[in-house]
Amino acid sequence: MSRQPIAPATLGRGASTVVAVRQTRTRFRRRAIFVGLMLATVAGLFGWRLASLQLLEPDRYVAHGEAQRIKTLKLRAGRGAIVDRNGVDLVLSVPGQTMIANPQRVEDPVRAAQALARVLGTDLELLERRLSSDKSFVYLGRQVDLEVAEAAVALNIPGVYVNEEWERIRPGGDSALSILGRTDIDSIGISGMELVYDGLLSGTDGERVVEMGLGNASIPGGEYSVQPAADGRTLVLTLDRALQFEAEQLLLEAVEAAGANGGVLVAMHPDTGGILATATVRRSSDGVVRISSEHRAATWAYEPGSIIKPLTVSAILDRAVAAPDTVRQVPPRLDVHDATFSDSPFHETMDLTLAEILRRSSNVGTILWAQDLGAEALHEQLREFGLGSVTDLDFPGEASGILRPAGTWSGTSLPTIAIGQGVSTTPLQMLTAYAALANGGVRPAPTLVLGTRDDAGVFEPRRRGPALRVLPVAVAQEVVGMMEQVVASGTGTRAQVPGYRVAGKTGTAWKAMPTGGYGSRGNRSYVASFAGFLPAEAPRLAVIVVIDEPSGDVYSGGRVAAPVFAEFARFAARQLRIPSADERVESDREGRVMALTPARQAILREAAEVSRLEQSGEMVAASAISG
Amino acid sequence: MTAVLRHPRLGLGQRIDDGTTGRATTSPAVRRAVALAVFGFFATLFALAAFQSVVVSGQFEFDSLQRRLEDGRDRSQLLRAEVARLESPGRILEVAGGRLGLVSPPTRLYLPSVVPGDPLIILPPPVGDPFSRTYQ
Repeated sequence: MSRQPIAPATLGRGASTVVAVRQTRTRFRRRAIFVGLMLATVAGLFGWRLASLQLLEPDRYVAHGEAQRIKTLKLRAGRGAIVDRNGVDLVLSVPGQTMIANPQRVEDPVRAAQALARVLGTDLELLERRLSSDKSFVYLGRQVDLEVAEAAVALNIPGVYVNEEWERIRPGGDSALSILGRTDIDSIGISGMELVYDGLLSGTDGERVVEMGLGNASIPGGEYSVQPAADGRTLVLTLDRALQFEAEQLLLEAVEAAGANGGVLVAMHPDTGGILATATVRRSSDGVVRISSEHRAATWAYEPGSIIKPLTVSAILDRAVAAPDTVRQVPPRLDVHDATFSDSPFHETMDLTLAEILRRSSNVGTILWAQDLGAEALHEQLREFGLGSVTDLDFPGEASGILRPAGTWSGTSLPTIAIGQGVSTTPLQMLTAYAALANGGVRPAPTLVLGTRDDAGVFEPRRRGPALRVLPVAVAQEVVGMMEQVVASGTGTRAQVPGYRVAGKTGTAWKAMPTGGYGSRGNRSYVASFAGFLPAEAPRLAVIVVIDEPSGDVYSGGRVAAPVFAEFARFAARQLRIPSADERVESDREGRVMALTPARQAILREAAEVSRLEQSGEMVAASAISG
Repeated sequence: MTAVLRHPRLGLGQRIDDGTTGRATTSPAVRRAVALAVFGFFATLFALAAFQSVVVSGQFEFDSLQRRLEDGRDRSQLLRAEVARLESPGRILEVAGGRLGLVSPPTRLYLPSVVPGDPLIILPPPVGDPFSRTYQ
């Protein structure tokens, strides 16, 4: 549009100015209207956009904004530690470094793999394959050392990151491995106590919701909430680390010295059934004797041999078939059904008391009295001692052993079972039976767990399993007295411990051949064992030592297993502060005190507290523990 | 072509009175009130900014403390594991036999805590401090 100038000739003076102002105002108004319309249009667009954001689909954009700002951080729950009775760490979790990658962001997978392989020590092809995959997340190395992770990060390879996750470690190496068990790489229990108590040891992850700005800095006053992680409970075992280590070392030496296939040593507190040490060693295929990851004390059923004789004698005394001093004529050989039983070493027919029969470990004498006792009574007594059924240990893979019902016994079953053949037990079952004798006829429930502790250190004791009376006190005391003679002057003299009265019994069992039968003389395999306890007058430690297939001429329980018992018992008596006979003289006299370690003092205080709670009925049932 | 308007003797701040609008007048009290309001507004803004700065630095410190706490927990767990490893009998035996070159004795001697025949007399405490330089 062209503007037509007004001809000045038609207007008077001053008219031109007025006309210009009016025209300018008109133009200004038009411009203002135009600009206003433009602004209104823009405002309208903004308004429309605002309405569409706020009213039409607000949730989508709110969620989008929150996703950008609000981060949910996972708070890792630590897996509970496993500690011994003194609070010493046996297994615990530590933060570990894991190398991860997003292959989509790795620019040159081949070069990256070459660089990382040198640092991580991982196979180059494997790394190349992972870094070239079409996934968005791959592991490059799990639970690597901190230095290795730092070196890998220093390579500055795009798409390669380090992540933290818990790593399970055993500071004592393979010690007590068969009990503690293992976890997989994700810290989930797969064997041993790690498996049994996985529910208690595993914690519950928490999360922290936080509103973050640039640089992952928290926005003050923004959204913030924390669900704290609940760490797993600490499992307190009955084991004593020092005793466990000593048991393993002694067993390794003994098995090596005897040229045996393996061995088991279990130590128990006879009153509570708490297992203080349980070691299993085996000779590997390469001929080296190593600590085994199998808890053979509970999973290995074997024919116990003569260490079953105190149980047979208990039944004889309990049924009043004989007294300890009842004399009987014992021949060197005895034919029963289609089998011949003999004593070793050979002896002429002689008069022996029941106590002497046990002291000399006479097979013939024991069988003669067992025949008077009868199959039913023997079977019943052995069942009461816990043979033929799993214990209360609640350990995976525990064997029940074999004790067939008396009604199914053959003609040779009674004599063979009476001397520990034709019946199979685990070392733990035999030790529990011996603990019953030591405990005045009350069979304790073996346990590996004292209780659990929470984060705050509050201890929750595990309720003890049921203790069963299997013998009258008087009978148990008589058997213990007879077993003392075994160690004092019988087959178990090598089990003597200076300063302590020891009760025990040796066993040299024939081991069944894989093809059946027991082989012939010179071609037999044996299982040598010794089980006993001390001090005999007030037992505080019961131990069983089983050596599997000792080779050579020295294979008897009295010569192979009893020395291991003695050596271990001497150490354990010091460790457990069990006073010797000399030390107990006038121990209650004023001014004499028993030296205690702080850990021992804590245990005594705790035991006193548990005892108080048990008496007052306030103790919380630890049912969750066994679950 | 656009005409340029010039008003004779038109000073700064003065309006062009073309007869269509009235003369605007503002009292000093209103001016002071407006000035105060403006001042108050900016002072409040400044105070808010300062407060925000304090809050942000506090939040930063909080985040930093939280990170330190988590690092400290991790470190304490690592140290706990290291202590357990150093105290383990296997490691002690390894160091004794390896680095220190000690050998196991042929037989062990266990010291009794009470010697047989011990008269059980309590020893009197020493007079003075036997470890003091001035102790005679």
